[in-house]
Amino acid sequence: MKGLRTSIIQEKKRTEFVIMEDYKFLFKVVLVGNAGVGKTCLVRRFTQGLFPPGQGATIGVDFMIKTVEVENEIVKLQIWDTAGQERFRSITQSYYRSAHALILVYDISCQPTFDCLPDWLREIEEYASNKVLRILVGNKIDREDREIPTHVGEDFAQRHGMYFLETSAKEAENVERLFMEIAAELMEQARCKELPRYEQNTTSLNGKTTSIGDAGICGCSRLS
Amino acid sequence: MMLAMGRRLKAIECFLRRWVSSRPDPELTALRYNVKRGSYAVPNDTHVAFFEKLLGPGGVITDSQECDAYNVDWLKIVKGSSRLVLRPRSTEEVSAVLRYCDERRLALCPQSGNTSLVGGSVPVFDEIVLSMRLMDRIIHTDELAGVVVCEAGCVLQRLDEHLSGRDLMMPIDLGAKGSCLIGGNVSTNAGGLRLLRYGNLHGNVLGLEAVMANGNVIDCLNTLKKDNTGYHLKHLFIGSEGTLGVVTKLAIQCPNLPKAINVAFLGLRDFKKVLETYRLAKGELSEILSSCEMMDRVSMDIAEQALGLKNPLASENDFYMLIETSGSQLSHDEEKVKAFLEKVMELGIVDDGTVTSDPSKIQKIWEVRERLAEAMSKEHYLFKYDISLPLSEFYSIVAVLKDHLKDCDVRYITGFGHLGDGNLHVQVLTSDYDAKVNARLEPFIFEYTSKMRGSISAEHGIGFKKAKFLRYSKDESAIELMRNMKRAMDPNGILNPYKVFT
Ligand SMILES: Nc1nc2c(ncn2[C@@H]2O[C@H](COP(=O)(O)OP(=O)(O)O)[C@@H](O)[C@H]2O)c(=O)[nH]1
Ligand SMILES: [Mg+2]
Repeated sequence: MKGLRTSIIQEKKRTEFVIMEDYKFLFKVVLVGNAGVGKTCLVRRFTQGLFPPGQGATIGVDFMIKTVEVENEIVKLQIWDTAGQERFRSITQSYYRSAHALILVYDISCQPTFDCLPDWLREIEEYASNKVLRILVGNKIDREDREIPTHVGEDFAQRHGMYFLETSAKEAENVERLFMEIAAELMEQARCKELPRYEQNTTSLNGKTTSIGDAGICGCSRLS
Repeated sequence: MMLAMGRRLKAIECFLRRWVSSRPDPELTALRYNVKRGSYAVPNDTHVAFFEKLLGPGGVITDSQECDAYNVDWLKIVKGSSRLVLRPRSTEEVSAVLRYCDERRLALCPQSGNTSLVGGSVPVFDEIVLSMRLMDRIIHTDELAGVVVCEAGCVLQRLDEHLSGRDLMMPIDLGAKGSCLIGGNVSTNAGGLRLLRYGNLHGNVLGLEAVMANGNVIDCLNTLKKDNTGYHLKHLFIGSEGTLGVVTKLAIQCPNLPKAINVAFLGLRDFKKVLETYRLAKGELSEILSSCEMMDRVSMDIAEQALGLKNPLASENDFYMLIETSGSQLSHDEEKVKAFLEKVMELGIVDDGTVTSDPSKIQKIWEVRERLAEAMSKEHYLFKYDISLPLSEFYSIVAVLKDHLKDCDVRYITGFGHLGDGNLHVQVLTSDYDAKVNARLEPFIFEYTSKMRGSISAEHGIGFKKAKFLRYSKDESAIELMRNMKRAMDPNGILNPYKVFT
């Protein structure tokens, strides 16, 4: 965070234009997962408070800022909604690296989207920082035709050191909570130990494997 | 990635069928603007017989309905009454036509794709239309040097397609690419969407061949990048809007097709943020930045309503920007674009956006920007202004006009344009031509632009519509020299009369 703040202030000195907004924290949140699991709907529900009727599949990456308040602090969430299609995957790789939180989404009524999770995890391992906050989300719990029982998702999350939450973008269930708890958790991390500074120096991520594994255990109970 | 390169090709298929505004034809220009006919001969049957013999079958059109397609402009704001259209197939034929007309003082209106936005490409009275459409041979392509030599009647998009198969591209790109002809582009020094990166046609036309009013063929068809021998005469024909000669052949410098294209479409809250985004884009994306376009909220609304196009963003914003990068390495470019986007978001400048390297999505995004003129003129009369302004004053004209026209019956006032080139298109939309609005707008907008030290025509030229107002952007000393050149090159004034000068 310190790094970010300094760079903004430098920017400000350089030009009269710059609009320095009044916020303390800015976190980058990236959503991944198969196409059709509801990533875009989750984001739209959270940022615009609606469930979009029949919008097309995401192509490329959509991004937006949502300002929230956590414990009387202004927090900005920079949300990156990626395309799940195989052929666009390369696009998202550079987006993993600077993420503070990664939301991996599957559809609880669609087994194949759950079966793909290991693939997504491999990709996350490869490209994301190992300190990134990882959240597994089973979406569409409003649907009657559930294929993945809650405990199966929960188990998977626990095994891989991820937070876990089930949501419905359609019924607005747990969506606000998902993002708000991410904001709170990241703020907490930022306060205790200062977040890793991804951009400036990748080598500073010196193989320390603390946050995720440790957080995972308590995290699972906390978010789910 | 090969796909990305062809994005422009697919992008404009829709423009190949020339769209036609659903509004009825306008009143005759001569009546609406009270123009006095010059002392030219009236084309008669003897003339027609001569041209029929010269140009052969398909070379002469006299059917009045067929002629009308050549009499009315793209925006349906001007209309001439020509009853004779000539369609030469070679430089020799153009030369013979011009010599014949010059000797008899028959006025001519050279016409390319008829996509002029200032009434430059249609006759005002009964000028003979000289359509360049049939002169559409691509003569030679030098892949290593990146040079294409072609006739003036080649459709811009066809040239681009031809070149893309050779890893090259045209240095010019504009919304009308499916119907405009390269000769018309050059004659008007058309700007467009790639000017930011590749510069204007004065730099990209290496050489040309033109026919003077008396029929003499001027051969300046150089294909070298460097040639400082004698006067640079080609520039006389670039941007002189067919008043000094008819361009028949061109040699054009063609850049390599970029291997990677990224397009970001951004939503912004106010114009200050638009400027700040441009400043940052120049800094962060410097060597790969290839376009920086902006449009306001009303422009987007009209594109959605009139053409059913889709806003690439889920949110509504007061301003939108389209930023394109072209480079040689997709992953490098993506990295730069991402860093740029993170920065504008961290600084609170951009709230919402989308970025892609997918050709079909790139096409969809560009389509919104490229079809704005079409969208706006579909159901409205368009008072269209194309001005250059210092960036700090770039958008304030829209607010100024809103105030200035507040008691007029105006549907919308819109602004969009080539921000990176300081070039704004300002539109005032009315249900039909409205003399009161016209009187209120002109010369007001030109005076305003002049006061801001801007240009009253950034890329569309002067044509018929702006001829009266040339002096707002050109000093009297310059206009006098222009007149002298016109007299020297076209003493009988047969080439595109009533245009550029009054
Ligand atoms: N029943 C139900 N359908 C949803 C939910 N979220 C998304 N969908 C639907 O799932 C489809 C894909 O959603 P989208 O957000 O585009 O998925 P993405 O490809 O992951 O971004 C759409 O038809 C949505 O309407 C949900 O919570 N419940
Ligand atoms: Mg999506």
